[in-house]
Amino acid sequence: MDHRPQAWGRPRDDVYGAYDHSYLQQSGPKTATQSPVVTGTSVVAIKFKEGVVIAADNLASYGSLARFTDVKRLRTFLGTSVVGFGGDVSDMQWLDRHLKELAIDEAYDQEPTAESAEAAAKEGLNAANLYKYLQKLMYKRRNDFDPLWNQILIAGLDEDDKPFLASVDLRGTSFTSPSLATGFGAMLAQPIMRLHAATEEDAAKLTREQAVEVVKECMKVLYYRDARSLDRYSIAVVTKEGIDLKEDEQLEKQSWAFAERIKGYGTQTV
Amino acid sequence: MAMFSQNPTMNGPNYSFSDTPRTKAPEGAREHRFDPYTDNGGSTLAIAGADFTIMAGDTRLTSGYNINSRYHPKVFKIGGTTSDQHDATIALSVVGFAADGEALKERLDAICKMYRYRHGKPMSVKACAQRLSTILYQKRFFPYYAYAILGGLDEEGKGAVYSYDPVGSYEREQCRAGGAAASLIMPFLDNQVNFKNQYIPGSGEGHALQERERKPLSRQEVETLVKDAFDGAVERHIEVGDGLQMMIITKDGIQEVTMPLKKD
Amino acid sequence: MTSIGTGYDLGNSIFSPDGRNFQVEYAVKAVENGGTSVGIRCKEGVVLAVEKVVASKLLKPGANKRIATVDRHLGVVYSGMVPDGRHFVDRARDEARAWRDTFKSPIPTADLASRMGGYMQAYTLYQSVRPFGITAIVGGFDSELESPVDGEVGQGPSVGAGGKAQDKDYGGPFLYMIEPSGLYWGYYGAATGKGRQAAKAELEKLDLNGDGAASLTLEQAVKEAARIIYVAHDDSKDKDFELEMSWISGTNGPTKGKHQEVPKALREEAERLAKKSLQDSDDEDDDKKEDDKMEE
Repeated sequence: MDHRPQAWGRPRDDVYGAYDHSYLQQSGPKTATQSPVVTGTSVVAIKFKEGVVIAADNLASYGSLARFTDVKRLRTFLGTSVVGFGGDVSDMQWLDRHLKELAIDEAYDQEPTAESAEAAAKEGLNAANLYKYLQKLMYKRRNDFDPLWNQILIAGLDEDDKPFLASVDLRGTSFTSPSLATGFGAMLAQPIMRLHAATEEDAAKLTREQAVEVVKECMKVLYYRDARSLDRYSIAVVTKEGIDLKEDEQLEKQSWAFAERIKGYGTQTV
Repeated sequence: MAMFSQNPTMNGPNYSFSDTPRTKAPEGAREHRFDPYTDNGGSTLAIAGADFTIMAGDTRLTSGYNINSRYHPKVFKIGGTTSDQHDATIALSVVGFAADGEALKERLDAICKMYRYRHGKPMSVKACAQRLSTILYQKRFFPYYAYAILGGLDEEGKGAVYSYDPVGSYEREQCRAGGAAASLIMPFLDNQVNFKNQYIPGSGEGHALQERERKPLSRQEVETLVKDAFDGAVERHIEVGDGLQMMIITKDGIQEVTMPLKKD
Repeated sequence: MTSIGTGYDLGNSIFSPDGRNFQVEYAVKAVENGGTSVGIRCKEGVVLAVEKVVASKLLKPGANKRIATVDRHLGVVYSGMVPDGRHFVDRARDEARAWRDTFKSPIPTADLASRMGGYMQAYTLYQSVRPFGITAIVGGFDSELESPVDGEVGQGPSVGAGGKAQDKDYGGPFLYMIEPSGLYWGYYGAATGKGRQAAKAELEKLDLNGDGAASLTLEQAVKEAARIIYVAHDDSKDKDFELEMSWISGTNGPTKGKHQEVPKALREEAERLAKKSLQDSDDEDDDKKEDDKMEE
């Protein structure tokens, strides 16, 4: 399956055949069409005992051009949740502003005396609430044929302060899992994460350090194999204590030795 | 009346050539590139018994060759008075495009809840079944891409299963399989539930051959059938697997059971 | 009020021959009956305080907040007609939101004061409306940091073209008071409502713009605000009240640039000190009286 964001939302060629453009108007006024322009690649996230680790690199691509190299694709919400965006960057910016407005409106009536992020989360919207909201928003936009061209991961805690991780895409399709990855990460990072957290029970045994290590390993593999990726990335850990967000991390301990052994398309050895 | 107009679409005098509207597209129309649908795989199954109904579905959610989630339920309790649905009497299974399935479930649930608040009693499966058909048909030209099955007990306490196509055509049946592995499970059900192609040995030749007498299956037998049906589907269909979710609807309420399926 | 009955006070947008708008002056009267509000701007931030008159024992203590958040970094308190104040806050929130929509950044306190001043002034121009029966105190802390545009993805140039000039201070604490006429000024300390005279007298004694060690810290400002509300309250005449306080500090301060209610512990401490200082000054007065008697 083609995981490039440019291919999202298109009928699969192998199932439906090449798309027939013939009925579209060839002349006349240009009609505005939605398709992603500047895009971000994978977002990866995994649950652990007390919370969730989420990461995304800092690259925004314009086709195959590495256009912006300092783009922050993890956004915080109310100091209690983190949203990671893959796909179109302008739609991400729209969503970010929309969520900021929502957060400000939420804060009007919120007791500001809450002693901790934990208490604040009880009063305000938690990650599970935010997930439901974003799912309805994305599904509504797909119903209007004006989709927000993103796949989004939502990381945080639910109403019982349990780790929460979920995904919503441009069609409003939504699901949860102990580990999640968007775009290329679904193929390259998800198998690695499932080794460590195949089930909720497994994830609940992971420590914070282990989870961070797994996510960093995933970011490295993605940088090795995803051509639209970068070695600078953002990583956030969400727990009851709040969000620990680092926005300018450098991939460490890379080894490109394997690259020299790659010849041809896999079967070739000489 | 535009009596001088030769133009059937224009209610007035003809445009001079240069004034002719250049687009035939109606106001607000968009160029079609975005495909709003996708198939998230999975399979569902429902069997009605004498005094119970069993609804089942696998819990895998896919897109293409990817497994998005290994636990994404497809069977839902509908129309309970609270969000935990502890007093629900009807179950709905949806398979196809997961976002539409979810939206369909939430709409039907909201409608059943409103009915219950207003009338002080749960909706009958029969009424709910008709209402679900209406919901689906109302979106006839932008359908919910979901194959729904509704299950409950009818007014006489007998198991009732209603199955639907995405645009609201429905019928009451003894059993129905839906989704990716429907074509694998359905023939098995025909044979095992409705005893199709089962004859009494030695009862005759050709048309004289007597069909095996149909009798309602016990709950234990049906549960085994469901499990076998899914084990078979998992083996032969890549989009089915991970977990089996079963809802057993009896006069005492709805019991939910989950068990593992193969995860490969 | 010698002009009552002359006909010039019957409608808005009617001047009296000596150049007064009586409707506005009546609105000021409404303000003068309201619970005292105080705003203090010090170097580290802004404190807002209000004497919330308890109209009934049936009201839940601590509920029905009088100080409102307008945007993350902005707070408003007002004296006078509470429903008018609520509408003022609604409008201020809309202005702050609209500013974010167009400029993709938080509204500076000065601009919010300007917008709201203009809004209140408009209610003095037409027959069909009446002026606001409130005087509002607007406090805010404009970020001193290079704040990103909302939804911005990169950093852009840090200095030079498109960046900010070096060696220049940005942001800081701001305090404005807007009157029913639409008049607004920036203040170091502002007071309005019933006890404004006493409150202003107290505010004038504070060092709110000094650079030295004498200048007020934010925590001291909280305690002063509490004390001033207590001083302005007349136990013998006025109904019971609750003290409500909020504060806004810079990014490195206790509220991290946000408008928040003053934490319970600090508020209670400030109230204890306020009551103690009143007690002490009463004792002093008593001592004096006794001294006077002895001299007689």
